[in-house]
Amino acid sequence: MRHLLALMVLPFAIQGCAGPRPKPIPELNGLLRQSVSGRREPVLSQRWLVSLSQRGGRERVELIDLNSRRPVPLPGLNRADALPISVSLSADGERLAVVQQREERTELVLYRRSVGTLQRVPLEPPGVPRAVSLNGNGRRLAVQVSRGGRWDIDLIRLP
Amino acid sequence: MLLAAGLLGCTGRVEQAGDAWLNRSQQDPALSGDGRLLAMISELRGRPTVLLRNENGSIQPVPQLRRHQPHSSPSLSWNGRYLALITQRGQRRLAIVLDRLNGRLHPLPLPGGRDPIRLSLAPDARKLALQVADQGQWRVEVLDLSEMLEPDRAAGAALTTPAIEESP
Repeated sequence: MRHLLALMVLPFAIQGCAGPRPKPIPELNGLLRQSVSGRREPVLSQRWLVSLSQRGGRERVELIDLNSRRPVPLPGLNRADALPISVSLSADGERLAVVQQREERTELVLYRRSVGTLQRVPLEPPGVPRAVSLNGNGRRLAVQVSRGGRWDIDLIRLP
Repeated sequence: MLLAAGLLGCTGRVEQAGDAWLNRSQQDPALSGDGRLLAMISELRGRPTVLLRNENGSIQPVPQLRRHQPHSSPSLSWNGRYLALITQRGQRRLAIVLDRLNGRLHPLPLPGGRDPIRLSLAPDARKLALQVADQGQWRVEVLDLSEMLEPDRAAGAALTTPAIEESP
């Protein structure tokens, strides 16, 4: 009887030790593998996933709507002469901050999706940006900048 | 045409330069959703270690993460309750989520023993995206954390489950 009781309790004890586990999302992860030869630098907001995806030997910023599970167009962002390095986005997916190399220099730009505009964000004092993070409403930006051989982080308020 | 019109000076304002508040190298910035907390990686005794900076400029270490360096790729939830990052355990890299409310650490070992390279926690902490190496390519995989963590939502954000109605 004692052995029977132990056998009944054991599965619950094991489950209790393990606790809830993270679960892969096979349908979404399958989609993320399709039609690209590589994907890196993911950033999640509630409804959106932005990342740098490689297609045909070229890397570009790709924004995926997690509700429809489809990429959304970003007209004017992925220029042929620009190579993205780091990307971040606001919670509503409206603003994307991108560090990119273009014409042999590295620049920080802000893309507004609803109007398709791309604005350069100046760094003061000047430096070379490397990694960027936007807050939820897209009005605050933190950027890692190289100045004089050292990495700094600048906090920038955006209009 | 849009680009020609758009590549103008942005009127952003630098609120605070790095060397004003921390006289050492700082990398990998990650803002919380509300923008009040900044996570970053800085060298402490020669080891890349995660630090947090409050809105008032004060820097605070994370006591639960004094070990297992190098730390990399920090990510914060909306109110900063959760801090996700990559740590080192022996020869392996391990993604973990720290619940700053109760100090609890949630390790996230990857199936197949793969090592995480970068990560991003959704602001409400329901999902986590991981960059991993798979057959010589970078891949991104998304994990559902909704059974593991309580949500950390913006104040006033809509709930996914209906509120309980009060009895008359």
